[in-house]
Amino acid sequence: MPIFEKSSERSVTRAIISEFAKDMEKFSDTDVIIIGGGPSGLVAARDLALKGVKVLIVERNNYLGGGFWIGGFLMNTITVRAPAQKLLDEIGVKYKQFEKGLYITPGPLACSKLIAAACEAGVSVLNMTSFDDIVLRENNRVGGAVINWTPVALLPRQISCVDPVALESKIVIDATGHDATVVKKLEERGLIKTPGFGAMWIEKSEDAVVEHSGFAHPGLIVIGMAVSTTYGLPRMGPTFGSMLLSGRKGAQVAYEHLKGGKD
Amino acid sequence: MSTSRAGKTELKRIDLYSSENPDPSHLDGVQEYLAALFPTVELEIRPCLLKSTKSDTIDSLAGMLASARMRNPSLRVQDFVPMYGEVEYEKRTIRGSSTVGGVVYDASKVAAAAEPLVKNHGSLETASLIFTDRLVSTYSDDDMRHHLRTVVCGFPSVVSIPGICEAPARPREYYFAKRQLEAESAGDLALVVLKQAFRDEFIDYGDPRTAEVLKGLSLQGVMFHLSLEPFCGDSRCRLFNAHWQKDLIASQIVSGRLCDKHERIVKKLSKKPVLSW
Repeated sequence: MPIFEKSSERSVTRAIISEFAKDMEKFSDTDVIIIGGGPSGLVAARDLALKGVKVLIVERNNYLGGGFWIGGFLMNTITVRAPAQKLLDEIGVKYKQFEKGLYITPGPLACSKLIAAACEAGVSVLNMTSFDDIVLRENNRVGGAVINWTPVALLPRQISCVDPVALESKIVIDATGHDATVVKKLEERGLIKTPGFGAMWIEKSEDAVVEHSGFAHPGLIVIGMAVSTTYGLPRMGPTFGSMLLSGRKGAQVAYEHLKGGKD
Repeated sequence: MSTSRAGKTELKRIDLYSSENPDPSHLDGVQEYLAALFPTVELEIRPCLLKSTKSDTIDSLAGMLASARMRNPSLRVQDFVPMYGEVEYEKRTIRGSSTVGGVVYDASKVAAAAEPLVKNHGSLETASLIFTDRLVSTYSDDDMRHHLRTVVCGFPSVVSIPGICEAPARPREYYFAKRQLEAESAGDLALVVLKQAFRDEFIDYGDPRTAEVLKGLSLQGVMFHLSLEPFCGDSRCRLFNAHWQKDLIASQIVSGRLCDKHERIVKKLSKKPVLSW
């Protein structure tokens, strides 16, 4: 007796296409598009989805999680400073205290739990999909994202010849890490001028990343390491704790804005 | 006609403006220290100038602070239109909904932003010291780049509390090791371990010695007001302008005193603190 129920290739293909088409139709107009599915993007997405906000993560890789799978020097111990461990509590990640206020946990555990928590909260994901451009609205407000398949984006234009599609949203969140891809696109258009990284060695940058998380331009919120790039904050200081709390702050700002509150 | 105020203007007040997120013990200690040195002068701890709830003040101050960011350490003059996000961040810091830190500001621009808000501004009978949790820098013609500062003397003077940890250099070996960690993308844990190895050699954030250092830096601000000469070349004097953490600790903590020359000067000023310029 066969283990699996009988099905046809045709049915499998139809199931994939119809579900994906339904999702794409839903994504074409959403509340928040988050570009980048690393730790800050996942936390922001989860927090918003738990409040009933329609959220889509656009991730250029096949996998979510960004650099959250491994720590420094390719060693997969993740460190977080208090109070970021409370967020690990929320998603059921076990950790140990290394010293007062500093906690450690295996990267694969923390990352997989965070991805699962975001998906279970109702976050939609378009992976293997690259951000291509921004959609601009009145007074140059960011009003969506232009996307394309990552394999297409990686090919030379003369070979790929596949036009992208545009998705509209009330808010776009740049969670693309050091690249700050969305912010850079605004800069290419002359709508923003980032300072670049400063050369001074200062250490108190973890808080600064969280405190600067928010609207960098009308319609565009910046979180995670993209904050460092956008505002020229030091690269060394930020840690996973600040990525997690930056995502949370970005979600708060987005939610207040969607409710009709302040930026 | 002489514009000298020498011997004519007497210092009657010192206003100590709290930092954005003050540790009450810091300014209490400074007030007590300066009161003992200048018994004829009235001292007052006043609220932070760089915080406000008035919308007009918030908008103008946020614009000025966002424009005061030191973006390029190699450029003396930095005129730029701040980003929307930078102005919004400053509004939050002024309202008190975001904490400051991790950003370097041009000290002269911070002083210019605060100066109109200073009580009795323009009066030389009042010395105003603005304490801040912001990092501040000034440009040096010696090596043509900005340097972080602990105190930037002027009217008013600006005292940067995080500057105590960041401005005077730590041991060279610390920076070599830190750079190595940075190159390896080592995380938070590695930095904690590194700091532990050097913990006696610099003042770090939250160090209880900060309160003691602030007394000496504040005196430098007051001495500038009185004489335009805030510093001393003797590394055991509290008026020593330390560029290295070891010198800061030696002058402010280990010695904790004025040199003989400045002891005499301050003793004289304690009876009648008149401007000598």
